[in-house]
Amino acid sequence: MFVSNTLGTAALRRAAWCATSRRPEATWLCCLANFRNPLMQRRLQLYDSIGLRAKALRAGLVITLGLLPCLLPRAAQGQSATRESSYPPIEAATDVQPVPLLSGSAGFITNFDAGEPHLAPIVSPVVLVPIRQRWLVESRGTFETDMVQQPGNSAFHGVVEKALDYAQLDFIANPHLTITVGRFLTPFGIYNERLYPVWIRNLQADPLILPIGIGPSDASNGAMLRGGFRASSQWNFNYTAYYSALTTASPVTSARLVGGRAGIFIPKARLEVGGSFQHLLQNERSNSFGFHAVWQPRSLPLDIRAETVRARRGSGYWIEPAYRLSQFPFWRNQMRRTQIVARMQQFFAGPLSVDELPDVDTRQFELGVNYYFLDGLKATSNYGRRFSGEGNKNVWTIGLTYRFIVPLGREGVE
Amino acid sequence: MNPLRSLSVAATILLGLAGSSPRSCAQQQASSSDTAPPVTGIKTSTSGKPVSVSAETKSPSVAPSPAIADDRAMRIEGEKRFSTNCGRCHMAPHKFSPRIMATAVRHMRVRAMITDEDMRLILRYLTQ
Repeated sequence: MFVSNTLGTAALRRAAWCATSRRPEATWLCCLANFRNPLMQRRLQLYDSIGLRAKALRAGLVITLGLLPCLLPRAAQGQSATRESSYPPIEAATDVQPVPLLSGSAGFITNFDAGEPHLAPIVSPVVLVPIRQRWLVESRGTFETDMVQQPGNSAFHGVVEKALDYAQLDFIANPHLTITVGRFLTPFGIYNERLYPVWIRNLQADPLILPIGIGPSDASNGAMLRGGFRASSQWNFNYTAYYSALTTASPVTSARLVGGRAGIFIPKARLEVGGSFQHLLQNERSNSFGFHAVWQPRSLPLDIRAETVRARRGSGYWIEPAYRLSQFPFWRNQMRRTQIVARMQQFFAGPLSVDELPDVDTRQFELGVNYYFLDGLKATSNYGRRFSGEGNKNVWTIGLTYRFIVPLGREGVE
Repeated sequence: MNPLRSLSVAATILLGLAGSSPRSCAQQQASSSDTAPPVTGIKTSTSGKPVSVSAETKSPSVAPSPAIADDRAMRIEGEKRFSTNCGRCHMAPHKFSPRIMATAVRHMRVRAMITDEDMRLILRYLTQ
């Protein structure tokens, strides 16, 4: 009784302070305080008499759950919350309003797959429309083709494939939570969401395990919660949780699934590690697990990225170190633009076969060289050797990729 | 009064004030401790007349005001956060206009789950 009274008094004081300082947890704390309040107790007895107590408790629970994302990170952050507030708000820091953008990438990739040439031009426009301070509409489409020579004809022919990669509405609810609805890239691992665009990826070929965990057409239709925040002075925490509904309408197909991803980033060590989980709510109702890591040692211009996946459809891993030659003492201007990339990957076929995945166990090694003319213009080339039960083969790739940004409004400061 | 005479009187007063200020005394002591003799520069005014400039007004070791120091610290921190966060996936873009960068950074905040603090510092670094 003493404890409950003490808690009630403390909650009342905290609620009053929060209400005066207009903090968002004021409502929740007022609810907590009122449950300890004698007046509220009498009200609950009255509700009991008319059968409304369950409704009142349910309403309190809903309010509590709704405000949980606001409360948990603050509690976890501790001192860092006060340190963050020492920086001015974004409006004060920049004093600019964002402008809608047409961005994206384009590339012209040529593959020689076991000696057969493939021409693969690709254009991926991205439209970004910021609305006020907290909203963002973003969408990406892809137009690509795989042109090959027909027998007896020297010309290259192919069909342009169109895809809507994502079309989502983001609401930045608070510094720790962003709510996304619509069609979004399935956040399983890091490759699909962060490394997929041709101007970002170091090697143009997809990893063998990429189709695992990202659903049909690499995207999901539904809702997602995500965010990242500083959990302590040493590391940041990021998370996503999502639900996708079954959609069979092409080209916006998706599977019925639920999943999430969590990771920590240690800025001092420049190390990010994380894990992904997904449960398929259709067909075989299987689980998929993934693990990813990104490391950039401070002493070297080296990036190391790696992913591993385990699922009933197959398992495997890839690891990709990329080294900039900026430390070489000669031809400095050319060397700092040159990057050497390697990727080792292995795939183990699962009991369930999928069209996008190899049918048998496969190993592949790739070695490539990239040259950055500008930050958004890159020449890429690589050689790969694939070893599998279906036969070994060489894969050569050369290409040029470009990233563009065009403002869809006045560019000047308002 | 003769303009030349009034100018010379004003210059004398200014030099006297500059020499008697505690800050310049401290700086002179500091410079003397570095065994570097105080240097007086000569610059030409818009009217073509030479005007004496004391050494401390030209010295790069003048302590910046707190606002400038804060701004510089935030810019350095923003650059560090930029290379740490954005450099994980791609190389640094060349700078665009502030309105373009504001949209791009909001997009990347959602995509790469950058923290709010990192986003503010990166945006400040990219737009200033």
